[in-house]
Amino acid sequence: MENGKPESKVIVVTSGKGGVGKTTTVANVSTSLARMGHRVVVMDLDIGLKKLDLILGLENRVIYDIIQVIEGECTLKQALVKDKRFPDLYMLPAAQTRNKDEITPEQVKALCDELRPDFDFIFIDCPAGIEQGFRNAIAAADDAIVVTNPEVSAVRDADRIIGMLESAGFKDIKLVVNRLRPDMVKQGDMLSIDDLLEHLCIDLLGIVPEDKNVVISTNRGEPIIMNNRAVAGTAFTNISRRLLGEDVEFPNFEDSSFWDRFKLLGRNLFSSK
Amino acid sequence: MIKIKGVNGKLVFYFESDNFIEQYQFLQDKFENNHQLLSGARVIFTGRGLDNFTHEQLISLQRLCLDYGAILNNTELPLKKTAAAAQPPMQVNADTNTDLFIHRNLRSGQKIRSEGSVVVWGDVHESAEIIAAGDIIVLGKLAGIAHAGCYGDTNTIVFALNLIPSQIRIGNRISRASGNDSSRNVAEIAFCDDEGIIIKEYNSRENLGRS
Repeated sequence: MENGKPESKVIVVTSGKGGVGKTTTVANVSTSLARMGHRVVVMDLDIGLKKLDLILGLENRVIYDIIQVIEGECTLKQALVKDKRFPDLYMLPAAQTRNKDEITPEQVKALCDELRPDFDFIFIDCPAGIEQGFRNAIAAADDAIVVTNPEVSAVRDADRIIGMLESAGFKDIKLVVNRLRPDMVKQGDMLSIDDLLEHLCIDLLGIVPEDKNVVISTNRGEPIIMNNRAVAGTAFTNISRRLLGEDVEFPNFEDSSFWDRFKLLGRNLFSSK
Repeated sequence: MIKIKGVNGKLVFYFESDNFIEQYQFLQDKFENNHQLLSGARVIFTGRGLDNFTHEQLISLQRLCLDYGAILNNTELPLKKTAAAAQPPMQVNADTNTDLFIHRNLRSGQKIRSEGSVVVWGDVHESAEIIAAGDIIVLGKLAGIAHAGCYGDTNTIVFALNLIPSQIRIGNRISRASGNDSSRNVAEIAFCDDEGIIIKEYNSRENLGRS
């Protein structure tokens, strides 16, 4: 349908440490791009511990998985799950009953090459860790996004992962800082964005503040970007816009904004009673 | 022939003759035939035969021991004791030309090994590792692990513009971070004295701590 488009991009989202929000980032950035009309496919490579289908709310639509595609039990087209809310979004589910060393980097590459003509963006949800699963996930990727939380353990793992990505030839690795709590940063209890950037020395792609709504949306299987009032939703939308080359300003969470002062006022009024 | 004796749980190699080829061959046979026994053994070189070896020959003997899994336990280079040791230590590196220059940051988990000295133009992050036979010089922050003089040379130094390592080793000495992370932001140098590893502010007039 849209033929004159530039070639497709394979982007791996990785972190080293588990639980920092890789899958949430993949789910929201991809849905946001699909909502803007780009053809997007998300590939879950966390074989054995899949969750992307859950977060996207597509769990009960899964019929075939990536291992079955690789083993020739079904075609790639049959395995792709179409998201009914966003017609341009597809998902290639992971197998839950298999494990990560049953596929090879070459097979992942071949799959991506097969998907490239039909999609603008191919997102790969990388498993935690630095073993086979990680190697599979980065094999086919053109670009890499590293997700981290503002805490020392996640930053240490991110540093390790960036080192490995650099050795694998990745240039221009982008950083997403997830679950930032501006109030804690202000009190000096949490690493600030500047601390993170100074230590990791890569470009910042987005800052996602801590937001209760993420848990709510995740449990419902609805991407947070569909909630217009959630700060995290806006942050993920901004990330997708930056991926498209738009110059979106970073909101300064660390300055006391009107909203912050309002909250503080509320807290003071409350505590004085 | 090399006499081998067990002393205080360490193996002492007495090099008696100055025929390098013969002694190297002998040592290699010994290692080959007693692989299990010698791997993991702490080894000390001594004897007057060593006086006549060149530095390269000594290194190849040490290399042989390391290849078979032995641990070198000399507190100082055997060469130092002898008259031939009059040549300054830096000469060694200049001769072999194995120094390493790194123009990037070393990230967590990355490991650099050099048979000479290492100079890093960048930072060495936490849990990164540098191991060098000679000196380690970091023109930036050193927060990882540095091991200078990995073959037992305690005359090597570790230098960084911001020296906050989790561990420093020089020769067979080990020193850990004290825990109080007072980053003083001055260039500091670590070297060995009789007691252990000393870290102090770098002062160009003090001759690199090598008195």
